[in-house]
Amino acid sequence: MIRFARLEVRIVVFFVILLICMQGVMFTLVTASGQHIAERRVREELATGERLFRRLVDQSNRRLSDAASVLAADFGFREAVATRDLGTIQSVLRNHGARISADVVLLADIEGMPLADTLDEGHSGAGLPQVSDLLAAARDKGKAQAITLIGGVPHQVVVVPVLAPVPIAWVAMGFKLDNRAARDLQDVTALQVSFLSRRPGDGWRMHASTLPEQARVPLLHSASRQSTLDTFSFIDVGDDHYATLVPVLGEGSEGRVVAVLQRSLLEGLEPFHRLRNILAVLAVVSIVLSIAGSMLIARSVTRPVGRLVTTARRIQDGDYPEHVAVERSDEIGELASSFNHMLDGIKQRESQILRLAYEDALTGLPNRAMLHDRLTQALSSARRTASPVSVMVMGLDRFKEVNETLGHPIGDRVLREVAVRLQGVLRESDTVARLGGDEFAILLPTGDSERVQNVMRRIVATLETPIVIDDQAIDVGGSIGVASFPDHSDGADTLLRQADMAMSLAKQANSGYAIYDPAQDDGRRGHLSLLGELRRAVERDELNLHFQPKLDLATGAVHRAEALVRWQHPVRGFVPPVEFIPFAERTGYIRQVTRWVVERAILQAGEWHRAGRSITISANVSTRDLMTPDLVNLVTGGLQRHGTPASLLCLEITESGFMDDPTRALETLEQLHALGVRLSIDDFGTGYSSLAYLKKLPVQELKIDRAFVMHMVTDRDDATLVRSTIELGHNLGLEVVAEGVEDAASLDMLRVLGCNEAQGYFISKPLPADRFEQWLDQRGSAASAAA
Amino acid sequence: MNGRRVARLLAPVLLAATGAVSGAQIQATVTGADGKPVTQAVVTLKPTGNSPVPEGNPKSVVMDQVDKEFVPLVVPVQAGGAVSFPNKDNIRHHVYSFSAPKTFELKLYSGVPSKPVVFDKPGVITLGCNIHDWMVGYLFVTDTPWFGKTGADGSVSIDAPPGEYTVRVWHPWSSAMAEQKVRTDAAPAKLAFRLSVVPPPVPARK
Repeated sequence: MIRFARLEVRIVVFFVILLICMQGVMFTLVTASGQHIAERRVREELATGERLFRRLVDQSNRRLSDAASVLAADFGFREAVATRDLGTIQSVLRNHGARISADVVLLADIEGMPLADTLDEGHSGAGLPQVSDLLAAARDKGKAQAITLIGGVPHQVVVVPVLAPVPIAWVAMGFKLDNRAARDLQDVTALQVSFLSRRPGDGWRMHASTLPEQARVPLLHSASRQSTLDTFSFIDVGDDHYATLVPVLGEGSEGRVVAVLQRSLLEGLEPFHRLRNILAVLAVVSIVLSIAGSMLIARSVTRPVGRLVTTARRIQDGDYPEHVAVERSDEIGELASSFNHMLDGIKQRESQILRLAYEDALTGLPNRAMLHDRLTQALSSARRTASPVSVMVMGLDRFKEVNETLGHPIGDRVLREVAVRLQGVLRESDTVARLGGDEFAILLPTGDSERVQNVMRRIVATLETPIVIDDQAIDVGGSIGVASFPDHSDGADTLLRQADMAMSLAKQANSGYAIYDPAQDDGRRGHLSLLGELRRAVERDELNLHFQPKLDLATGAVHRAEALVRWQHPVRGFVPPVEFIPFAERTGYIRQVTRWVVERAILQAGEWHRAGRSITISANVSTRDLMTPDLVNLVTGGLQRHGTPASLLCLEITESGFMDDPTRALETLEQLHALGVRLSIDDFGTGYSSLAYLKKLPVQELKIDRAFVMHMVTDRDDATLVRSTIELGHNLGLEVVAEGVEDAASLDMLRVLGCNEAQGYFISKPLPADRFEQWLDQRGSAASAAA
Repeated sequence: MNGRRVARLLAPVLLAATGAVSGAQIQATVTGADGKPVTQAVVTLKPTGNSPVPEGNPKSVVMDQVDKEFVPLVVPVQAGGAVSFPNKDNIRHHVYSFSAPKTFELKLYSGVPSKPVVFDKPGVITLGCNIHDWMVGYLFVTDTPWFGKTGADGSVSIDAPPGEYTVRVWHPWSSAMAEQKVRTDAAPAKLAFRLSVVPPPVPARK
């Protein structure tokens, strides 16, 4: 979330800085150009104002001139002037002056001597000297006008003659340039107007001004610093600058009169300051808005993204949440929507993967993994309730033949049909699983032994009906093994193994079904540790070979012996072969054991051969050994290494061992035969090998299983079997060996039946190499003694 | 000013005035500062000392108004003489004078006023028209019967009995008068006057 918060901050900061920069630039531009524009505008306004001012002055002149002319042309006035009727003259001057609000009206005779005026009593006649310049000009030009000082006050004055009809007198009429006049001019020109004068040899004096009081002194200061005021300048007044124009109004002997026209720069700038203030407010508002806006936008991105991140993390943890709410139609909405699709996809694929992991693809049944899970679950709940849980393992009989004869597609359909039938006889809460190959497992999470029996019977019954595929009736039976909690074990693995073992027994016994019997379990005593110990035993030479002689019944000589492996455990002591050989066969470790045995047998045969004893040693080879080329390599190498003639090695192969992969087995046997190794079929009569196949095998010897030999004296059937087997062997051109000979009667009987060799406790138990040698030596001396 | 025309019109009047007295003849010539002849200058002869001035029979004279002008510009008249102001325009005029020797006014009239105006006191009478400000005319009222007005050539001849005279020359456009003393006998006397004459600015007519 912090990262997204940073993104948000980045967006906000970027836009705000951008905006501030833009506003700053705009602000600077507006201020700079505002200053520039304001100055220019102030100059223009000043120039315009001056033009207006001059026009106003002209207008005033005209007004004065018109009024004076009207006065001068008045017949009565002229008559009064001509007759020097001063009383009348004065009243006429007042009257006409009042018409245009003239501040002063004077009358002088034609020589310029004052006759009458409208000035106050005390100043009467004082005005004329100041207008004498004007009179001179008027005499020249008929009339004159000027701005001059009258009584020290600047006046705009016009002088016209009184014509009767030649000039007989002069009328002067004037406006005082006072504050009122300045204000009137200001009203029109929008300029600050001041009137200043300077008498020769004197300083500037201010007569009237529209300036505020505090601005007048700086103006006078500025004026006094210069002998003549600049026509244009800026005069500083406090914070303000005044653009100043100084038109000269009058220049005469009385002095100079000027107007000072001014425009405040501050006033000129005022619109720009207002604009600047508005801009400042706008800037603040827009910055605030952009902060808010960009935060909103940024959040509208980061918040949904944050939610997606949270959801993604939950998915990562294997927790599949509900869909992310899609509230928008923009890119974020699309992302959320895609995200939901992805979630669906992941969910779907995971369920598919789970299905593949826990389901058998062929039958759609749970597989071994799932069965294991459910069994574990069932066990954990059964432990709390102390209720029984049973697990069955069922293997199909003759399924291999179905595959071989009808092909795998048919085999697969058979398996599917079996799956359907199994499900048909079970409850919903039970689990049918396919373990692989033709093996199925059934988990009954509840139910006592009675139900178990019931289910087993029903399964057997349902498989009794042949499976019909493509109009072909296929007969597949099943063998079932059962193990139950708590009777047999409390672990899932153990229960399965026990059920599997019981199934094997049922298959062997062809009994349909079997319940696990601890007594038959040779793997009970910690097979796993046994495996480790067996491995160690091979490595540390804890194993050794015992030899059991084979007695030649025709000659009574012993030229052959069977090598039997013995395990002298350092702690347990002697471990009988039956306790570790079947186990080694199941785990595959039998190959190492075989290797060891064959190697030792070759070695021993070689030693004896070199010692002058020609003893052919038989070694038992397991089914698995026939399936790999290792055995051939081993034998070839061993014979070479130990200098043992191949004829002194005999390999005994269990009859049933061929049948899993007859072709391969045959191949191996051919190679061994080619080496010159003697081959023997062990335990003959327990398997189902066909005679046709037997005939093809390159074997020289056939061993009748001890189960038939041990009771042949008392059991007629066994005797018949033994006799016909011997005949069969002989007919096939094989030598026949009987094992399990435990009494003289049996030995005699075998001799009578024509059996070639006999092996058993009656002759000798298996003996270590040295004792076997002694035994041979004793027999030899005995034989020679007998001879 | 069209002085030539004025001179032509006044010629018979002058002849009449000069021919009235037999005696010595004084011929006065007036030139301006620039040497050009000055017309319309009034020349008067006044006996010096206490020589009596004979009571003449002042003649009536005419000051016309033609085309909104007084014609001629100057009319000399002996004191006691009457002047008539016939209006030859087809509009009315209002002739007045505020001059000290005689103030009068002839209020708006056309044609010839019923009575001529008699001027008793010598001096310059400036005539104006209250309606037409630019109209200016002058009556020179003399206290002597011997006077004349220069013509276009700037000269005038005046017959007067032999004697000693003060000869004065007046012209409305000159601020001063020229003056000479002369003693005459039977032979005509020639006098030359120089007078600074400055025409006034031409007023605007309306």
